[in-house]
Amino acid sequence: MFHINVADIGNVKVNTSQNGGFSSDQIADMATDKIVFVADNAPPAIQEQARLFADRVRNLLRGYVDLAKREERATIIQVIEQTGNKELANIIRRL
Amino acid sequence: MAITQAMCTSFKKELLEGVHNFKNSGGDTFKLALYAEGGGGKSSTTATLGAATTAYTTTGEVANSGSYTAAGGSLTRVDPSSSGTTGFTDFADISFTTATITAMGALIHNSSDSNKAVAVLDFTSNKTSTAGTFTVTFPAADASNAIIRIA
Repeated sequence: MFHINVADIGNVKVNTSQNGGFSSDQIADMATDKIVFVADNAPPAIQEQARLFADRVRNLLRGYVDLAKREERATIIQVIEQTGNKELANIIRRL
Repeated sequence: MAITQAMCTSFKKELLEGVHNFKNSGGDTFKLALYAEGGGGKSSTTATLGAATTAYTTTGEVANSGSYTAAGGSLTRVDPSSSGTTGFTDFADISFTTATITAMGALIHNSSDSNKAVAVLDFTSNKTSTAGTFTVTFPAADASNAIIRIA
């Protein structure tokens, strides 16, 4: 006879942004949560190590997210300028 | 008048009937619909969702906004897996962009099969995006945290 002990669902996280997309900090936090996970019942020393590692990962990711945004904008600005829309290009440059 | 996180009872029965297929290749289409409490849904309706929910409902669903449309967005399936004695499945995170949404919870449902209910998710508080992005991030796909687990 089969007996299933537990059928359960996990907890999701919700992230939202206002008047635009996510900030670099939000994206870095979301990515860090995917990369580093430590169980609540892990020994305190391991939890502390994991938190320190997560902080380093978060800072690294934040920098590269910022870089990716800048580079993407630079490419977009070039494309727009080549079509003669210098005013629109300047608006994007100031973002 | 509430949204209570639960694996829907009808879903448990339907699993035994082979109704749902979560495989990445050739599986059913599952959607995630967003719901409001306190009259924030369409026509000021309030969602009542929980273990007894059997199918997608428009009552209390948030209004269309940005990339969010009625019945919600399609989820990207991840092949079911197992670890130890636990079987589990996962979905990729889902985002609704350029959207003004206030939601208190969500319903995962099978749009390939009469929108049968799978699970109710409780966000525990209202989450709001204003002309922005509303992202639902699924938990780690492991035996302790995955979105749908059978131990």
